Amino acid sequence: MTDTPDYKAESPAREAWRMFRRNVPALVGVVILSFIVLATLYGTFFYAGDPYNVVWAPHERPGVTPEFPLGTDYLGRDILAGMLTGGGPTLAVGAAAAAITMVIGITLGSLAGFYGGWVDNLLMRITEFFQVLPALLFAMVLVTLFSPSLWTIAIAIGVVSWPQTARLTRAEFLRIKELEYVTAARAIGARNKRIIWKVILPNAMPPLIVSATLTIGIAILFEAGLSFLGLGDPNVMSWGLMIGANRDYILDAWWPVTFPGLAIFFTVFAVSLIGDGLNDAFNPKLRER
Amino acid sequence: MNSSYILRRVGYGLVLMLGVVVLNFLLIRLAPGDPAMVIAGEMGGATEEMLESIREEYGLNKPLVVQLGIYVGNVLQGNLGESFFFNQPVASLIAQRIGPTILLVITAQILSILIGVFLGVIAARKPNGVMSGFVSVFATIGYAVPVFWTGIMLIILFASVFPIFPVEGMQSVRLRGADVFTKTLDIAHHLILPAFTLAIIYLAQYARLSRASMLEVLGSDYIRTARAKGAAEKTVLFKHALRNAALPILTVAGLQFGNLISGALLVETVFNWPGMGRLAFDSILRRDYPTIMGVLFFASAMVVVANILTDISYRWADPRLRGKS
Amino acid sequence: MTALLDITDLKVTFNTRYGQVTALDGVSLHVNAGETLGVVGESGCGKSITALATMGLIPMPPGRIAGGSIRLAGEELVGASPARMRAMRGADIAMIFQEPMTSLNPVFTVGDQIAEAIMLHQKVSADRAFKDAVALLDRVGIPSPADRARDYPHQLSGGMRQRVMIAMAVSCRPKVLIADEPTTALDVTVQAQIFDLLNEIQRDFGAAIVLITHDMGAISEMADRVAVMYAGRIIEEATADDVLDFPQHPYARGLIDCIPALGREEHALKEIPGVVPPLHLLGAGCAFAERCEHANDRCRQEKPLLVNHDHHPAACHAVEEGRI
Ligand SMILES: Nc1ncnc2c1ncn2[C@@H]1O[C@H](COP(=O)(O)OP(=O)(O)O)[C@@H](O)[C@H]1O
Ligand SMILES: [Mg+2]
Repeated sequence: MTDTPDYKAESPAREAWRMFRRNVPALVGVVILSFIVLATLYGTFFYAGDPYNVVWAPHERPGVTPEFPLGTDYLGRDILAGMLTGGGPTLAVGAAAAAITMVIGITLGSLAGFYGGWVDNLLMRITEFFQVLPALLFAMVLVTLFSPSLWTIAIAIGVVSWPQTARLTRAEFLRIKELEYVTAARAIGARNKRIIWKVILPNAMPPLIVSATLTIGIAILFEAGLSFLGLGDPNVMSWGLMIGANRDYILDAWWPVTFPGLAIFFTVFAVSLIGDGLNDAFNPKLRER
Repeated sequence: MNSSYILRRVGYGLVLMLGVVVLNFLLIRLAPGDPAMVIAGEMGGATEEMLESIREEYGLNKPLVVQLGIYVGNVLQGNLGESFFFNQPVASLIAQRIGPTILLVITAQILSILIGVFLGVIAARKPNGVMSGFVSVFATIGYAVPVFWTGIMLIILFASVFPIFPVEGMQSVRLRGADVFTKTLDIAHHLILPAFTLAIIYLAQYARLSRASMLEVLGSDYIRTARAKGAAEKTVLFKHALRNAALPILTVAGLQFGNLISGALLVETVFNWPGMGRLAFDSILRRDYPTIMGVLFFASAMVVVANILTDISYRWADPRLRGKS
Repeated sequence: MTALLDITDLKVTFNTRYGQVTALDGVSLHVNAGETLGVVGESGCGKSITALATMGLIPMPPGRIAGGSIRLAGEELVGASPARMRAMRGADIAMIFQEPMTSLNPVFTVGDQIAEAIMLHQKVSADRAFKDAVALLDRVGIPSPADRARDYPHQLSGGMRQRVMIAMAVSCRPKVLIADEPTTALDVTVQAQIFDLLNEIQRDFGAAIVLITHDMGAISEMADRVAVMYAGRIIEEATADDVLDFPQHPYARGLIDCIPALGREEHALKEIPGVVPPLHLLGAGCAFAERCEHANDRCRQEKPLLVNHDHHPAACHAVEEGRI
């Protein structure tokens, strides 16, 4: 089309931010996620309770006893206390695992995309190999072999999740390295390291940021799955663990499994709303369809 | 179809599987503690002679390369080791369990593709319509629900509120002596909830993907040509557009297979489905490493086979790739 | 005699992010049976939209036919039922598109695609339709047509694909054939062959042709009459000879001046300065005023109407006032 933009030139980041601010679902995501993060960080100041202690009769319904608004589990432990303490580890592992995923994926993907040739070939074969391993099963094996702790869980999730990030990074590098400004940087004699870090990577960031956001969601689901199976850190309360611990009694009491599940759902839901919002903000053209 | 391509693809698959075997070996060696103990399983209460015989069998006193050779040789002969918990060869343990897993995974895959693509196509007809909104909300929700929790919620719903589907296992005990037809129906009945639980996440993703893919295809010139011929909207949508939009869907279906198996693991655990996932879970709790490694091997093999089938069908579906190698 | 295809006062609007724009603003055209009408004008003038509106293929939304009438052999197409439009598309009126590379479906053989067009409008067996498709491929000059019919589009060159498109378009002997820049995407040597083919096809099948093109050479060879479009309006219309030899509107003069004369160097080719204004920036006056050396205040304030001078209508104040 021949139309010329009639707004004044904006930096891409500013324009993305402007688009993001107008995206209602993404803002809803921000609000939900902020609430959850604040509740897990500071909730215990307002509601002090020990999630491990048996404090009441088992299977007290929610809303019956004012002291335990969400009721108690099969042992008589306070569910709200569990919800408030159990979010921290889940979020921490999710964030750490996403960071590990991004570091591995971006490093391997950028090397493959930038150097091409045998480096690309080798790294892509390794990536394909890791994509053959069913991620959750492989993570389960890693966690059991190396004894579960928050760190081993985060590392295991990172080790099984990076291939997609690597492929995405590689594709971006392949695209960007042919662009004029990269040729220009080469022409003025910039070193490879500089071109990778200072020239190509910043321009590859938008899709990588979106992917990082979505990776956090996936990592949270992974952590929840592992904890549910009883493969999480046994010393740490988490939402997945609460569901796993109560699952033999679901037909007697729905609430001990429902509330932690909702918490996981809303966290991942919020994260993916934000991810979609970022995606739209970085690709405004796609939205006009 | 070019058969040398298929051969090469299968060859590469075998190389990947060899990689899985080597990885299994490395994992056992890297795990903290005595590898013989790891192989015997920590809860096996292994005696000193048992450990000695394991060391003998796996050559654990020999150099690492020799050990690797012995391990790979064993696997090539179909010997995945012995489960010390069940006192059975791992291969035969898995042989009993792989069928239910394949049944569950394939059913979920078919369900999610059929329903998801249908929803996506309907949504693509009106990119700003109600259905489009529904698909994108549903896709975001489907992506965010933990699959094991969906399963649990469905169990609560169908066990206490609408008791029309069985919520546990794969067969009813009381039908032990029944004829094949009744038994098949019984399995199908048991399959509904687990398969639907597993399908729902992917269903949402296929709906979103096929909507996007259809929107892209519907804007192309050949769709306009089809309309210019006087083709009915249904023909344009389901013949001309979907055949092309299906190509990226097929790619994703192949890539999703590994995730589907991961999901099956959780779903089997929730619904007590007697498959490999349930076996893996039980074995991990028992630290029955040979069995765990065997499950990892077979699950990876399923992914490799699924990928080969996807690649071959992709080449078949896209004439532009058919002649090429 | 009434024209075979008669478009009067056609108005098409689009909803865009700049609000509603008018892509066609009162277009009137007619084509008689067996005649060839040339439609010329720079990119973005509304030629394709006119063609698509006639086919009933304007994407709605964002598009809308806001007024006017399109009659094919007396039958009104604006507001016709979708089923009736489908029955006529491909059968009574057919179209060849600008992009042969992307206009064929990549996953079906070209023979099947032609056969589909036949079966949509005629009660014949699939076998019969495929045989007819092969005969059509032969007719449009494709060598070893029986083999080519089993090829997929990507196995054919651009020129061959455009021949396939032509075969498909004429498969049901349409009364009107619209060719929208059928050669723009092709090599120069192939272009002449395609125009020759269209000429033959018209002789054999007796279809009226609407030929949209930039190629003034093709216009002089093929067109009986020519309509010049600018910014969604017809600004001049006359016999091909009249327009080529005595263009009236400054825009038409500019277009004719752009034709490289025989023997002249290519780089001496003149161009009309400036570009077609985007639709949302169209003002009250003549859309060409910005680029016109004869423009005065009246031109900038008042839209000129198509006024008949000696059977040679042109929409220009300067022409009307005798300033040029
Ligand atoms: N889908 C659409 N939405 C908005 N504007 C459109 C659309 N399609 C065409 N237009 C506008 O209509 C005008 C005429 O386009 P077209 O008929 O394709 O020109 P051409 O004469 O080059 O064939 C152009 O200004 C174009 O921007
Ligand atoms: Mg055009």
